[in-house]
Amino acid sequence: MVKISLIQHDISSHIPRRPGDPTPTSRNLDPNMHPFARARERTRALNAAKMDRIFAKPFVGALEGHVDAVEVLAKHPDSVTNIASGSWDGGILVHHLSQRQQLLKLPQAHKGKVSGLCFADDSRLLSCGVDRNVKIWKIDGDSDHPLSVLPGKAAINSIDHQRSSPIFATASNLVHIWDETKTAPISNLTFPASTETVTAIRFNLSERSILASLGSDRTFALYDIRTSKPERRVVMQMRANSLSWSPTMPTSVLLASEDHNLYTFDIRHLAEPTMIYKGHVAAVMSCDWSPTGTEFVSGGWDRTVRIWQTGQGHSPEVYHTKRMQRVTATLVTTDARFVLSGSDDGNVRIWKTKASEKLGVVTSRERASMEYRSSLVNRWKVDKEVGKIARTRHLPKPVYSASKLKTTMLEARRVKEERQRKHTRSGESKPKAERKKVVLVEQS
Amino acid sequence: MDALIVKADAIQPFSQKRKSNKKSSPGDPGPSSSSKAHDQTWKSIVKQSSIPKSLRPTKSLPDGVVLKHNHIANKKLRAELVKTSSHIAQSKALLEDAEFLLTGEEGKMEVEGEMERTWRVGQTEIEQGAGQEAAKGRREFRLEGGPYRSRYTRNGRHLAIVGKTGHTATFDWQTGMLHTELQLQETCRDITFLQDHSYFAVAQKKYVFIYDRDGVELHCLKSHIEPTRLEFLPYHWLLVSIGNAGYLKYQDTSTGQLLVEHRTKFGSCTTMTQNLHNAVIHLGHQNGLVTLWTPNLPHPAVQLLSHLGPVSSVSVDPSSGGRYMATAGKDGTVKVWDCRNWKGTVREWSVRGTGDTEVEWSQRGSLAVASGGSVNVYSPPSIHTPLPGHTQPPLYLTHPIPSRPLTSLRFTPFQDILTVGHSAGLSSILVPGAGEPNFDSTEADPFENKKARREKEVKSLLDKIQPDMITVDPDFIGGLAPVSKLTTNQTHQGKPSHPVEVPFARLSRMERLKIQGKADETEVVEGGEDGEGYKKDKEERERRRMRGKGKSLKRYLRKQRKNVIDPAAVAIRAKLEKQKQERKQEILKKRAEAAGVSLPGSGKVSALDRFKRST
Repeated sequence: MVKISLIQHDISSHIPRRPGDPTPTSRNLDPNMHPFARARERTRALNAAKMDRIFAKPFVGALEGHVDAVEVLAKHPDSVTNIASGSWDGGILVHHLSQRQQLLKLPQAHKGKVSGLCFADDSRLLSCGVDRNVKIWKIDGDSDHPLSVLPGKAAINSIDHQRSSPIFATASNLVHIWDETKTAPISNLTFPASTETVTAIRFNLSERSILASLGSDRTFALYDIRTSKPERRVVMQMRANSLSWSPTMPTSVLLASEDHNLYTFDIRHLAEPTMIYKGHVAAVMSCDWSPTGTEFVSGGWDRTVRIWQTGQGHSPEVYHTKRMQRVTATLVTTDARFVLSGSDDGNVRIWKTKASEKLGVVTSRERASMEYRSSLVNRWKVDKEVGKIARTRHLPKPVYSASKLKTTMLEARRVKEERQRKHTRSGESKPKAERKKVVLVEQS
Repeated sequence: MDALIVKADAIQPFSQKRKSNKKSSPGDPGPSSSSKAHDQTWKSIVKQSSIPKSLRPTKSLPDGVVLKHNHIANKKLRAELVKTSSHIAQSKALLEDAEFLLTGEEGKMEVEGEMERTWRVGQTEIEQGAGQEAAKGRREFRLEGGPYRSRYTRNGRHLAIVGKTGHTATFDWQTGMLHTELQLQETCRDITFLQDHSYFAVAQKKYVFIYDRDGVELHCLKSHIEPTRLEFLPYHWLLVSIGNAGYLKYQDTSTGQLLVEHRTKFGSCTTMTQNLHNAVIHLGHQNGLVTLWTPNLPHPAVQLLSHLGPVSSVSVDPSSGGRYMATAGKDGTVKVWDCRNWKGTVREWSVRGTGDTEVEWSQRGSLAVASGGSVNVYSPPSIHTPLPGHTQPPLYLTHPIPSRPLTSLRFTPFQDILTVGHSAGLSSILVPGAGEPNFDSTEADPFENKKARREKEVKSLLDKIQPDMITVDPDFIGGLAPVSKLTTNQTHQGKPSHPVEVPFARLSRMERLKIQGKADETEVVEGGEDGEGYKKDKEERERRRMRGKGKSLKRYLRKQRKNVIDPAAVAIRAKLEKQKQERKQEILKKRAEAAGVSLPGSGKVSALDRFKRST
């Protein structure tokens, strides 16, 4: 006797039961059934990388209204849409991002440039300028008169307000701590025997009494307003232009430096930065963390806006347009989806954080396929072709040639140092790590 | 300030962490402060968060599956690699789970008695035993017009047949729906479907023609002259033809361009097959050679003398990932080869009957051999096991077909059916256990509808693999890049544990020349590592140097010693070296003769040498 059986496909299980039902699919994961799985996946990754570049249209729009260069931008901490910008002509505008409208227009808020802006509770806006005044404005009010004017003694360079308290700080030749209810500063903070001008000031976001400042003589200083004395100070190789506290890591602070780099410092260990972010080809003028803490934006003198991933010190996303001039102020909106840049040409530009992100409603299938594409690119980024497409960004010619020149110069310097080292007695001069070159001296 | 730092100490700063790690010895079981902090954080998170059920690991992986990558110094890279390898291990485990979900049952034929044999079971018995529905596969097509060849689509649903005299038809063999029937009225030698049943190509008397499903002639490929065999590479969208002139031609059917043509230089060829797993084309030639071709090589990737006399048929086993190849020759033998190692056959045996022998592997690895007036089928484990000598593997099934010659063999994908083309038409026979019972809808679906077919066409066009990626080893994509020749493994500060790859541009001039093969290394001195030995060696050589011999040549060479390869200098150097070797040999020979022992290198070695007395 023989037992015989043949393959029988049950047709009813392979065609839809009723009209309109989805067609049943069957899977067999045996690798023999899927020849060229890797090669096909690579092709898919290549296509995904190309599509990502095709859809990379980061520019959303420009907010006009300023007559002169935009100097400062501030975001409302409780709102996704409200943004304030101040310019060199002394004008302040409050924009509504989604409607692209001006909520408040103050063409003559200050005499001379507006050097600092920040939001406080009850939708109040604090501004300071080189005309030595601090002015407090009401956003929803129609009047273009300030709620109050607090006169200072010297030109003020920066202002920052504590969240949910009437305390704020200004930076001029020294750091003043103010109470909104009082007309004079309640305390002054300065390092003994320092003659510097303080250029930027920020409160820590979680420990509200900690204050960080940048000085014109290449310093980065930390103060505690409860003890009303300076805590620590470091002198760096080059001065920093802007600083931003990390919203998720309270001890980490980001500095935008004049030497084309950005640095993150752990304030417990100020001897060297935790990370160096290299990419700009001119001084970095401004920086701001995304509220997620995983990325941050920087704007530079080289007319580009760059978006960095935390912990990845190279190859940032680069945004530029023909008409955008030196970028003096940058922001990430509170929903982390958009980046704002204020530049010398007097416009505030809105960019997407992810250049190829689709705005508007995304169906779940679409989202799944986008996620699949991004993970494919991530997986195959070590492949030569895929990686090249995913990595390469178009740069304006001056920036491109400047970056090439910079690489050449740095390489030449490196070679020279190496040769010098080879021809000195061994052990006499050791190569210094790049991180250790940043800080000159730490004082406390 | 301090408050901030105290609070932030829940997460240790990097510098302190490093120190604590160094302090605690590996044998110390006491929990370190950093692990405590980690636990606190973990506890605070774990209350509020959980992984979705679908993402939770089904079972814990055994030790040793996840590679630790301890040899990699870079922590970030190591963590990434560990993550990847654990993901791979996880998905492998899940793959095993997925096998339970396969519902299809494979066909089989088993005998109970000790003395019974499966090959004694005839087709009528199989038909009765299999049931009415399954027995539909047993068909006889009685057709006029010479020996027939056939081809199935990848999903096994549609069949294209072509007769020698030009009768061509394509049809859905399950429903019996005829798509088209053409009388081309000229010699047709082969037929193949393109990406699916909507297009097919016919190798006609002079050119290759492409028709659509309704039989409308779409293209005449005039660059393919007198074609004899056709193959379509579905993942590369390439139509491959070989003809009487011996030119192998690749035509891209998505762009229409003739990609490449290779001159095989072996004359007329009538045997071609493709390896489904690496898209390599196997050709069998009149002189007994089997050659393997890829589009990017102008010469065969592999060339193998397989038979004494012409090769009549070649087939590659799809069940083992293209590992085995079967060839049949006009010398009356069938040979099974291992494609990873071409040294000798796995099995070979002689077949009865005269004429061309045809071979074909099925999806599950059954080998069908058509010779003389019968088709024999051999089942997998015995064909793949190597066995020396001329022994036929145990026969699984046999079926006589009176209308000779048998010209083509095709197994139906996802069915237990073998279609044999012969002079009186075609006959389909049932071969239990030949087909794969579980199909994958993303690859080939016998039950797909019109919309699914269209979508698949678009998807497969998007996933089209570039033709220059066809290689004998398909796994080279995504593999590690070979070490660049332009770098060296210099050790970092003399530490042997950390070899540093130095880029070419940063190497010294001598090293660069060495890598490029341009360095003059004739002055390298043996044993010159330590100064003392080097000195001694030099003195020794100085003492031994034979003065006055070939001095002028040597002086010439000494003067020529630069980092330039001069052909004249090289030739002289080689000549001198040769002379030196000859002299050495001479001396050795003389010494050996004096000692009365024949030198193992020179002269004949005798087994009796060992008994010679040494003086």
